[in-house]
Amino acid sequence: MLPNRPAVIDWVALHVLPHEGKARAWLRRIMAPGQEPDDVIQDAYCRIATLESVEHIRNPRAYFFQTCRSIVLEHARRARVVRMETVTEFDALSILDEEPSPERVTAARQELSRVRRLIAALPERCRRIIEMRKIEGVPQREIAERLGVSERVVENDATRGLKLILKALEDDETRPAERRRERGQA
Amino acid sequence: MSETTQPRLNDDAAAAWAVRLGEGALDREAQAELDAWLNEDPRRRGALLRAQAAWRLLDRAGEGHGAVPAPRRRPVLRFALGRRRLLAGGAAAIAASVAGVAVMVNMGARYGTALGEVRRVPLADGSLAAINTESVVDVALRKDERRVTLERGEAWFSVAKDKARPFVVAAGPVRVRAVGTAFSVRLHATGADVLVTEGVVEAWTEGAVAKKVRIAAGARAFISNAVGPTQPVESPQQIDRALAWRDGQIALEGETLAQAAAEFNRYNKKKLVIEDPELAGGTLVGWFHANEPEAFARAAAATLNARVVEDKDAIRLTRPPNVTGI
Repeated sequence: MLPNRPAVIDWVALHVLPHEGKARAWLRRIMAPGQEPDDVIQDAYCRIATLESVEHIRNPRAYFFQTCRSIVLEHARRARVVRMETVTEFDALSILDEEPSPERVTAARQELSRVRRLIAALPERCRRIIEMRKIEGVPQREIAERLGVSERVVENDATRGLKLILKALEDDETRPAERRRERGQA
Repeated sequence: MSETTQPRLNDDAAAAWAVRLGEGALDREAQAELDAWLNEDPRRRGALLRAQAAWRLLDRAGEGHGAVPAPRRRPVLRFALGRRRLLAGGAAAIAASVAGVAVMVNMGARYGTALGEVRRVPLADGSLAAINTESVVDVALRKDERRVTLERGEAWFSVAKDKARPFVVAAGPVRVRAVGTAFSVRLHATGADVLVTEGVVEAWTEGAVAKKVRIAAGARAFISNAVGPTQPVESPQQIDRALAWRDGQIALEGETLAQAAAEFNRYNKKKLVIEDPELAGGTLVGWFHANEPEAFARAAAATLNARVVEDKDAIRLTRPPNVTGI
């Protein structure tokens, strides 16, 4: 199996992951009860993983939503259940993509501070390790030496931190109230 | 599909592999282990990509504000604009038709629509007509009868109650009569399709009044020029979808790409052409704007794994030369 391409990984980090929460909230609204947005998101990542290049994608966010949408339609066709607002919702989303660029710059800044907040919220040793590795650029071996633990421990704590961050990225943090409400209903 | 797959997206092993891969190339043993893990379930590659991207995202915490690249101005998506254009067109059409009615009161009127145009026309008796693409409707409001002749195409009528003056639509030799009700008539070469959305209508073919049929709300029937009405079929949802054109939309639920293309081609000069016969049988679900065949083509291409090639007079759907992603 081919490894995931570095260009694709960077592209997903920059253009897909930050919108995952929004995509999930959108999917939750348009999908029929009993269908799981996570399945769609997972399929979308699988498809993106098979891309040989991403340079041709001019609007990555729209591409991501479009990918989710076509997966929903495929599932719907197979399961023969569909909510008809699906396509209309998608149109509303593409209007969002016309936001003027200053707002998009602000969004990028907000994204940066979100990443910093995610790291700050980690348990103490996870946070310290990820800060050293990612912000200060300290190699893993040296982190182990500084903390007086094995490299294995550093790796495990880093993994634990990454898992918590992956969990946090599931949410659309601009609309936390809605997320809680929907969770309550499910 | 929901029970077993949910935990895989945030897979523990995916996070561990992402951290290890972030430290550089794996040794041969670890690489074999990773390959085995990935091969066990094709969906793991997606989970790994997500974890690797998140690990990469954390690098950005070290970046200064200025290091964030300013995004390029996005191209305006055409189908977002489609609805606005449609609404503006509809408003203009209503304004134009209202002006027409003011002049035509009690004189009868003739309304035509161009390719892709859908017009809503208030009639002088309080009824409303919605006229679909490439259609011609002649309205004659007489003392004893309201007579509408569908000369071409398709129209839907919401009929104002007036017991003294039945509302009769003539489509070739086919007649459809209503008192206060809503229904549509589509003229074909061999007869007419009648769809009823409210109340009851009577339909028959000229010269065979004895074979009259009653069609109630939620049912449709084909009235043949030669042999008269067929048995009405009840299908309220299908009727809703069939009348989506009144809002400038086309509704698909399992129609083939070939059928969908024929439907879009009723409305647009730029025709959808399916180059690969294998694609023609693919089925589609969803609501689309009738005057946005490009947007439809893109959605269909994404769903059916096809490619869109657009030139001056056609939008062609073909198989991509090599399959990559969606």
